[in-house]
Amino acid sequence: MSKVIEKDILVGTRVPKMDAPDKATGRTRYVNDMVLPRMLVAKILRTDRVHAKILRIDTSKARALPGVHAVITADDTPQFGIGVLKDNPPLKKDKVRCIRDEIAAVAAETEDICDEALALIEVEYEDLPPVFDCTEALAEGAPVIHEDRPDNIAMVNEFSSGDIARAEAESDHIVEGDYNVHYVTHCNMGVSCAVADVDYDGKVTLYSQTQYPFIMKMDIAPSLGVHPGDIRIIQPPVGGAFGSKLDVYPYEPICVFLAQKTRRPVKLIFSRSEEFIASPTRQPVEFKIRAGMKADGTLTFRDIDTLLNNGGYTSWGATTPYVTMRTCSSHYRVPDIKYRARAVYTNNPFAGSFRGYGNVQATWAIETHMDRMAEVAGLDPLEFRLKNANESGDVSPQGSKLNNIDLKGCLQIAADKSDFLKKWAEYKEGWNKPGRYKRGIGIAASLHNAGGAKIHKSDGCGTILKMDDYARVTVITGASDIGQGIDTVIAQLVAEELGIPVRDVTLVMNDSATGPWDVGVHASRTTYIAGNSAKRAALKAKEQILRGAAKQSNLTWEQLDLRGGHVVQADNGEAIIPLDRLLRQMHFAGQDAELVMVTDYYEPPSEPEDENHVGDMSAAYSHAAQVTEVTVDTFTGEVKIDQIWWVQDVGKVINLTTLEGQVEGGIAMGLGYGLSENLKIENGIVKNPFFRDYHVFTAPEMPPIDMTFIETLDEEGPAGAKGIAELPTIVPAPSIGNAVYNATGVRIYHPPLSPETVARALFDADAGKAMAAE
Amino acid sequence: MSETASQAVPRIEAYYAPTSLEEAVEQIAAGDVAIVAGGTDLMVTANGALRRIKRGLMNIRHVPGLDGIAETGGRIRIGALATMTDILESDLLRAKAPILPATADRFASVQIRNAASVGGNIANASPAADMVIPLLCLDAEVELASWKDGAVSTRTLPITDYFTGPGKSKREAGELITAVEFDAQGAGGHAAFFKTGPRPALEIAIVSMGFMARIDGGTLSDIRIAFGAVAPTPIRAPETEKLLDGQTLDDDLIARALESADTEIKPIDDVRGTAWYRRRLARVYLEEELRNVLEG
Repeated sequence: MSKVIEKDILVGTRVPKMDAPDKATGRTRYVNDMVLPRMLVAKILRTDRVHAKILRIDTSKARALPGVHAVITADDTPQFGIGVLKDNPPLKKDKVRCIRDEIAAVAAETEDICDEALALIEVEYEDLPPVFDCTEALAEGAPVIHEDRPDNIAMVNEFSSGDIARAEAESDHIVEGDYNVHYVTHCNMGVSCAVADVDYDGKVTLYSQTQYPFIMKMDIAPSLGVHPGDIRIIQPPVGGAFGSKLDVYPYEPICVFLAQKTRRPVKLIFSRSEEFIASPTRQPVEFKIRAGMKADGTLTFRDIDTLLNNGGYTSWGATTPYVTMRTCSSHYRVPDIKYRARAVYTNNPFAGSFRGYGNVQATWAIETHMDRMAEVAGLDPLEFRLKNANESGDVSPQGSKLNNIDLKGCLQIAADKSDFLKKWAEYKEGWNKPGRYKRGIGIAASLHNAGGAKIHKSDGCGTILKMDDYARVTVITGASDIGQGIDTVIAQLVAEELGIPVRDVTLVMNDSATGPWDVGVHASRTTYIAGNSAKRAALKAKEQILRGAAKQSNLTWEQLDLRGGHVVQADNGEAIIPLDRLLRQMHFAGQDAELVMVTDYYEPPSEPEDENHVGDMSAAYSHAAQVTEVTVDTFTGEVKIDQIWWVQDVGKVINLTTLEGQVEGGIAMGLGYGLSENLKIENGIVKNPFFRDYHVFTAPEMPPIDMTFIETLDEEGPAGAKGIAELPTIVPAPSIGNAVYNATGVRIYHPPLSPETVARALFDADAGKAMAAE
Repeated sequence: MSETASQAVPRIEAYYAPTSLEEAVEQIAAGDVAIVAGGTDLMVTANGALRRIKRGLMNIRHVPGLDGIAETGGRIRIGALATMTDILESDLLRAKAPILPATADRFASVQIRNAASVGGNIANASPAADMVIPLLCLDAEVELASWKDGAVSTRTLPITDYFTGPGKSKREAGELITAVEFDAQGAGGHAAFFKTGPRPALEIAIVSMGFMARIDGGTLSDIRIAFGAVAPTPIRAPETEKLLDGQTLDDDLIARALESADTEIKPIDDVRGTAWYRRRLARVYLEEELRNVLEG
C-alpha cells in the first residue's frame, strides 16, 4: 500500500513575499546600484525658465573639460517627440515650455565632472509670456504653448448618454459643486535611473525601471532612430514605480543617445529634488458637477465638466479621463450622463499615470458630492449610497457589465463594523457645542476595473513554463514586478497546480528578449491577467506530465493528479511515482524524449471602447468602501485619523499577506493625498522638491486599519480573484473629507486637508456665521 | 533679455579633521571651510544644491572639549557637539532645565537626533530652529572661539542678541561655536515646548513656542516666552512677558497677553504656511499654555 497524499491548497494562504528578505536586508541590487565595466555617468541640464525661446546653447567649454566624453543638445539628436501625443522631444531645440525641460546632457567619468560640465554650458533665452491656469490658457489671446495647437487644447474626451435637459426637468433637487484636486507625485524610494549600452551593431540594451517593457520598445524607438526590434529592455528590481514608469520620459532616450555617442555604457540617475521636479505628477483636475435626484434620493443625472492642467507636454495625464469618466458614469446608478474633459496646455510641469489613474480624482469629487446630495435629500450618507448602489447584472451607461460585484456589501459591512450610523448622528450633534477637539466619521466608496483595461489592441500576457529534471519550475512571464508581489502570486498559482512547494518555482520576468509579450503593469491587471496565463500554462504542463505518467500506468491521465511532488491517483491520493523521477524518465527516453516546456498567451474577454467611449473594457470590476473616524483640532486644523474600516471585494484572496500589504500601502498613499501631500507649484516652479517640505505619510502616522475582504469569486479571474491594487489609494481621501464635515459642519472641496486648510475653512465658517448673525 | 544658466555645485577639495581647538580655529581662520558636526543641515544643503557649500570640509568631532553637558559653579554648560539625544537623555537637564529635553523630544526623528548637534542648530540660524527656542527662554550665552594673534580667543554672546536674520548671526567668519551656557538658577521652573505638525516630530516647525515661568499660588513671575518661525529670527516676546509678570491669570489677562504676543511676532507667508496661520498658531499655543497654567 503506497502512501496517500492530500492536495496542498496554496491559494488563500499567507505565502511570504518572495523578494522581501533580500529587500529587507539590503541584498537586492536595484537599477540604481548597477555598475558596468567602462560605464560613464550622465546628467541633464534643465532649463530655469517656464516659457522661453532658446536663442543659443554653447557647450564648447563643457566639451573641453577633462573627463567629459560627450555633451549633447537637440542639434545632436533626432527631433522626434515622445509621450502620448509625441509632443515632447527629449532635448529641446527652439523653446522651453516648463521648468523641467531638458536642454543638454553630459556623459563623463564622474558625477562631479558632470556637474562641473553642466555649469559650463551657456544658454541664452528670450522669455515668452507664460500661462499657468487652464481657464486663462483657453482665453482668446493666451500665450500659445505648442504652435501646432493654437487653442492650447491637448485632448478632449466627451461622453453623453440619455437626455440631460429632460432629466433636469424631472429632478426634484439639483446639487452643484466645484472640486479642484491638486498636484502630488509618486515619491518612489528609488529615484529615476537608466543604464544604456549600445553594441557594435547599434543594438540597444536599456536597463530600465519601466512598467511596460514591450510597448516601450515601440514608443522609444522613433526618438532614437533605432528599429524597435533592435532594443532590448532589461528590468532589474525597481524601488517603486506606481505608474510613474508607464511612458517614455526624456531621460531614457537621452541616456541612450549618450551611450550611442560614447560607445560606452552610460548611467543616468536623478537627484531627489530632480525626482520631484522632473518626474510626472498625478493629474490635477478642476471638476464642475451638476447632479440631480428625485425627492426620495434616487439619482437622475450627472453633468460633469472638467479641466485638466496638461502642463507643457502630454503624457498619460491627459488620458486619465478614460478612467475618471467610468467613475462619473458608472459609480452608482445614474441614468443620464454628460461628461467632458479638456486637457489644456500650460507652462506647468506635466502629469503621467499614477496608481488609481483618474479615479483618485473622480472619487474625491463624486463621493464628496454624494455626501452633499445625501444631506439635501435628508438621508444619511449610508442610506443614500445604498439606495443608488449598483448591483450585479447592471450594465452602466458606458457599457461596463457589472457582474459578480458587491458594492452594497462593501458599504454595509464598513458601516456595521464601525457603528457608522450611531456615531455619525452623535458627532453631528457636536457641531454647535463648544470644545476644541471634534470627532467625526465619514464613508466613501468607489468602483474600479479589476480585470485589466483594454486600451491597447491586446490586453494579454504571455507565459513560458519549463520544468527541469528535479521538478523545479521556471516561469518566464511577460508581467513586470515593480514591488507589487506578482512573483509570489504566480508562484503560488503554479505550485498549487503542479503539486510542488512554492520555493521550487523560479520567476524570470526581467528581460524583453526572453519574456513573452505583456501590456505592462497598470490598471490592477497583473494578478488577473498574468495570473490567468501562468495558471493556464501550469495546467498545460500538468496535462503533459500526467499523459507521460499515464503511459506507464493502467489509469488514464484524467484519473491522475499532482500532489506533494508526486503523481497520485486522483480519487484516493495514492502516490504512484515521484514527480522528479517521472520527469527524468520522460526526458531521457531515447527517440520518445520530451521536456515539459509549455507556453500560453491569455487574452481577457474585455472589449475596447468604441468611438463613443462605450464598451466593456475590463474583464472584471470591483468595489471598496472605507469608513474613517477622525479627531479634528479645530484650533490648529490638524486632522488625526483614529481608525479606518476597509472593505474590498477582491474576488478571492490569493495571498492574505501581500493583499494586506497592498491595502496598507495604498491607504498610506490615499491618506497622503487627502491630508498631507501637496506638490506646490507656483508660476510653474515646484516650491517644495524635498521630503522636508513634501509630506508623505510615515509609518508612525499610520492609523489602525480594520480590513474585511469580500470574496465574490469572479468567473474569469484566477481562482476567482480580481485585481486589487488601486482601490486602496482611490477611496481614502473623500472618506476623510466627509468625516471632517461630520465633525465640524464645514465642507472642504479641495484636498489636501492640511492643518492650515482646515483651520482656514473653520475660521472662515465662523466669520461667516458671525456676519450672518449681525 | 538674456542670462546664462548655471547650476554650479562646487566640489569639496579639502577635508580637515583637527584634533585640537587650536588646530580647528586656525584652519577656519585660514580659509574657505564648511564645518561638519552632525551634518544634518549641511547634507540637506549640499544634496539639494540649495546654496553654495564651501570647498573645504572640516569635521570637528575629534576636537576635545566640545562635547558634554555639565554644571559648574551654578552654570550649566552644553558643549557644541552635544547631540539632541544627549540632551534628551541627560539626567542633569531633566532635573534642572526640563525645557531642553522636552524640546529634544519633539526634534526631528531618532536618527537625526542621534547626529544633530546643539552647535549646528544654532549655527544654521534658521528662524525655525527648535533647540534655539528653549535656549532663548534660558537666556543662554553662546561661546565662540577664534584664532587671534597666534592663539585661541573666546567671547560670549547672549543668544537673545545672537541672530540677525534667516541664516544670519553675529558669528564672524573665523568663529566656531564651542558651547552654550546658562544659569542653573531659574532654569528649573514650569516649562513647556509647543510645535506644529500632525507628525509626531519629523517636521520643520510652522510655529514653535517655548514657555517658562515661576508659579507661586497662581502668581506668575520670571516669565520667558520664545517663538520660532514667526519672525526673521527666533524671538522672545518681552512685552508679553512684562504684561504677565507678577500677575495672576484670568480670562481678561489671557486675552490681553494674546493681543500683546500678536503684536510682537512678524510672520511671513512661505511654502510651509501663511502669516495668517502662523499668527493663529502662536495664539493657540500661548492660550493653551496659559490655560494650562490657570487650570493648574
